Amino acid sequence: MEIAPEETTRTDGSLADAWVTVVWNDPVNLMSYVTYVFRSYFGYPQAKAEKLMREVHEQGRSAVSTGNREQMEVDVQAMHSFGLWATLQRGDA
Amino acid sequence: MRAFRREGGALVAEVDPGEREVLATVVADVAELLGAGRLEERAAGSHDGAADGRSPALRLRLDPLPAPDDPAVHRLLPDASRDDAEVSAEFRRLTEDDLRQQKIDRLAELHAMLTAEDDGAAGGGTGRRRGRHAAGATVRVAADRAPALAATLTDVRLVLGDRLGVTDEEASERLEREVLRARPAADDHQGQARQYLGSVFLALGWWQETLMACLLADLPDGPADGDPDARGGRGPGGGLGSAP
Repeated sequence: MEIAPEETTRTDGSLADAWVTVVWNDPVNLMSYVTYVFRSYFGYPQAKAEKLMREVHEQGRSAVSTGNREQMEVDVQAMHSFGLWATLQRGDA
Repeated sequence: MRAFRREGGALVAEVDPGEREVLATVVADVAELLGAGRLEERAAGSHDGAADGRSPALRLRLDPLPAPDDPAVHRLLPDASRDDAEVSAEFRRLTEDDLRQQKIDRLAELHAMLTAEDDGAAGGGTGRRRGRHAAGATVRVAADRAPALAATLTDVRLVLGDRLGVTDEEASERLEREVLRARPAADDHQGQARQYLGSVFLALGWWQETLMACLLADLPDGPADGDPDARGGRGPGGGLGSAP
């Protein structure tokens, strides 16, 4: 489904079309659970998943994936399904 | 309530009948907040989903959908952007109905697990281990449904956390001390309710932690270190750290 045709032109990976998925900290989610989500959904190795989890926990947020807007919408929806608060934004913002 | 452990193709944990009842009620409360009606009535009556009053036509949403008023529901169905109302509105219009339904379905699954007369009903077991524990005392979840259970425990804890004012780590620690030490008077209904919900919140956190230990142990090792981006080269590049 095309969500925003003007921003999902086929330029996957180019800077002009770079969006990021940001996961925000909350005091309820378990660190083990956040690590699990990053490993199981994104397929990240334990060390990388844990690093991103610590960023969320200690810095309040972490950019967990990059891509075009459509891909980031898929990732954000998945994070919401897992109960993590995620947002998307332009990578060059 | 006992820790989860792996048994063949399932994850199992003993939960007392009293605890099951408490948990089932809280799970039904969360489903009701999401607009599912009462799960108890759904289980007793028709099981065709018509009772929830949703028609497939609702999925083809053309009009914008306002963000939920209840902060707990808003946390389960959050905004997709912090500063771009257009992005949030469009995302909500396209995804909220599905997300809401998915969360309700998962809650109903957990509710059924908690109210099942016999542990065989929860699925995933081979039957050969039956009888080791009293019927109805064991929650058994098939390994492939365990991630959904973890997500649902998260949703329930997010709602309880909102109601209990767990807005930061400090509030979380304060609540823990309070639940462990406070002895509200019998006529302090608000204190009693807080004590009750607080202990459910803490117990579910502990329980989910034991589930996560099993799930993390079961994950295959990540891709080799030389290829950290498992999704076709996509992944958080180092340059993104400076994004606001």
